[in-house]
Amino acid sequence: MRSEARSTGAKREGVARRLGPGRGIGGRVRRIDAERSSLTAILNLVRLGAAKTRHEIEVTSGLGRAVVANRLGSLIALGLVDEDEIGQASGGRAPRLVRFRSDTALVLVGALDPTSLSVGISDLSGRLLNEHHEAFELGAGPAATLERLETLFDWLLDQHRHDREVWHVTLAVPGPGRRAEGERFAWPAPHFLPAWNDYPLVEQLMLRRRVPVQISSSVQMKALGELRAGSAVGQRDAIFVDLNREISAAIFSEGRLHRGTDGAAGLIGHTSCDDDGALVCRCGNVGCLELFAGADAIAREGTRAAVDGRSRYLAEALASNGEIVVSDIGIAAQLGDPVSAELLSRAGRLVGTVLAGLVNAFNPSVIVLSGAVAQTGDIFLAAVREAVYRRSHPLVTRDLRIVRSQMASSAGLVGSAIAAIDAIFEPSFIESWINLGSPLRHPTTERLIASAGGAATKTAGRPRPPDKAGNGRS
Amino acid sequence: MAIAGLGPHGERAAPPERLELSDADAARAREKQFTAAVVFHTTTSDWSTQALAGIVTTLGRYSAAVVEVVDCQFSIENQTRALERIVGERPDAIISIPIGNTAVADAHRNVSRAGIKLVVMDNGPTGLLPGTDYASVISADNFGLGKVGAELLAPFIPPRGTAVVLGYGVDFFASNEREIAFRQWMAANRPDITVKTVKFSEVDRVSPVVEKLIDAEPDLDGMFAVWDVPAMQAIATLRARNRSLPITTIDLGNEAATELAAGGMIKGIGAQRPFDLGAAVATATVAALLDHQPPPWVALPALAVTRKNVIEAYQVVWHAPAPPALIKAGRGGATRR
Repeated sequence: MRSEARSTGAKREGVARRLGPGRGIGGRVRRIDAERSSLTAILNLVRLGAAKTRHEIEVTSGLGRAVVANRLGSLIALGLVDEDEIGQASGGRAPRLVRFRSDTALVLVGALDPTSLSVGISDLSGRLLNEHHEAFELGAGPAATLERLETLFDWLLDQHRHDREVWHVTLAVPGPGRRAEGERFAWPAPHFLPAWNDYPLVEQLMLRRRVPVQISSSVQMKALGELRAGSAVGQRDAIFVDLNREISAAIFSEGRLHRGTDGAAGLIGHTSCDDDGALVCRCGNVGCLELFAGADAIAREGTRAAVDGRSRYLAEALASNGEIVVSDIGIAAQLGDPVSAELLSRAGRLVGTVLAGLVNAFNPSVIVLSGAVAQTGDIFLAAVREAVYRRSHPLVTRDLRIVRSQMASSAGLVGSAIAAIDAIFEPSFIESWINLGSPLRHPTTERLIASAGGAATKTAGRPRPPDKAGNGRS
Repeated sequence: MAIAGLGPHGERAAPPERLELSDADAARAREKQFTAAVVFHTTTSDWSTQALAGIVTTLGRYSAAVVEVVDCQFSIENQTRALERIVGERPDAIISIPIGNTAVADAHRNVSRAGIKLVVMDNGPTGLLPGTDYASVISADNFGLGKVGAELLAPFIPPRGTAVVLGYGVDFFASNEREIAFRQWMAANRPDITVKTVKFSEVDRVSPVVEKLIDAEPDLDGMFAVWDVPAMQAIATLRARNRSLPITTIDLGNEAATELAAGGMIKGIGAQRPFDLGAAVATATVAALLDHQPPPWVALPALAVTRKNVIEAYQVVWHAPAPPALIKAGRGGATRR
């Protein structure tokens, strides 16, 4: 195994020497650029499954047989593809299958929600090799969150690394994820909670792992996961709704995610449902959807029903657990508690009414409901469906499906892995690292990691908000 | 005890009461005379015996026949082959404990693709989805069990002492969750304790791992073994070397329970209720066969067992009176070292 690794390393160096850093002049530069471009094209054809044999690569890419043979030799030497399997014959000799080696490197992914934390490890196809989810209060603060993430990342690597490089870390957070101007990977510090302002989370992660780190919006990553591996596979027009303490949506229109100017599109939890209401939302407005249909809002109403004797089921849950969470209300509703059923039904109708506006505007083929509120069961789902179908124009609901997510929190991890891999293999980026054998040796990556050191040290001197360990109840 | 962990996809746990079938459903099930096969990681442990009893008893109540029980002997290959073969024999349902996570994902996915209902115990292989690839995951609260293991071991570890996790070197959701939870509890509540890990890959090859550990770490203060069978092998190895170590583990097997009751090396156990787990998985299977959608993750809480409550806990876990040896040991019998 070791000698094989040394041999692959030597081959990689050979390819790198031949393609070089591209400092030649005239025709040599053009030849090297063309060689890199065709390498990238072939790699992405194989990686995305568009071509599976040499012949298919030739036909799809328009490149000649000799060029394809040469580039495949380079990609095999770099450890990015192999030709070890034989395909099915169609008359003549059975062709060798060209396969992307998705096990060449790894991607670490994490997802933060207000009451839970998820981590996963993926290969370069976006397939999760392992995942773990646990209750966690984001209110514990950024330092405690970072420590927990790092512990769990270490644990995943202990299980799966086997001498492979990690090429990327993506973290999905409950807030907008917006790329800094002119930067490929450096994202601004997340500021979804006041205590997180200016905390050098990205820089700390980069310094520790020595890889690019990307921060992305949690709801957008979950939507991407559902589109690639869940209930919205193959759909181009889809709405994903995350229903937890907060309510937000991600909208795919004609295959593209609508991010908005500030990367904050989809804050439907702040759509007004009751302009005259007395409850004030954390956004400063009154009557926001979250105040009635968010997980905490429903739990608060359930607690009232338990305390004032309207619900025997919820009173028992409160006595047993010390608190009521939205899943308790789902269980009580399933067991026949009319108060809980009505709470979920009302929340579902409000969510459905807000979604009807989006359905009229975007005409999606599927709406995927996810999060703790969606997981309560069929009563909530039925109420959402009823309101959407009743309040939308018949033309836009003719082919509309409204489903509950099967992936749950896994969707955020899968979406994060896909986003990381899309960034690594983006044609303009891959062209500048493919000759080096790894994106970690790309000058941008090295510069980012070097600058992360300075930023983390500079910010480390600022006073920190107090941290506390936190463990939420399921 | 509340459920501490989250499900394979981050789901909140549903209690087994959510699986109750109506009288009309029960009558419909009896009329259909369903068949089910059971594919276990092992059938020889006390846990497996109890879980199987729960499955068979409950399926029998709904006139469903268990047509085959497979012991995979902890082998991924055995499980893959068994599932392929059983799919060809077309039972109505398969109940399985997946071994090795993604390594057996395709074999399990093919069960539901063949139109056979699949209900999994302990974990759903990464990448498989509830509703599409399996009906439900029924498990103990493995995260809660790991926390119990830590909480019961902590009093026996001196300040700045060292504890070791005797972990399973195969990617297995249940033992992974226990190990993560043990470490999390120690980090949060006893950060002075150094936690190390050693792993065994084969259940009958624990002794060499423990031998090596004793030589490398002579100053260990305690051990957490991720289930009772390796815990008892570790104890045998320690005794042979004339060593003693406070140990906590998971599952109230007969030997572990007696060791605990007798004041031996085992100081505490996080117990599952395998019979009740078996009953829940059988009910979920019947529900799925009747085209109901059971909750994606049903979990039973952990039970903290110490020398003080071991006899009562035994009765709860085993649905049977404690054996005389256990009662004798627990009520003032000889204390073992």
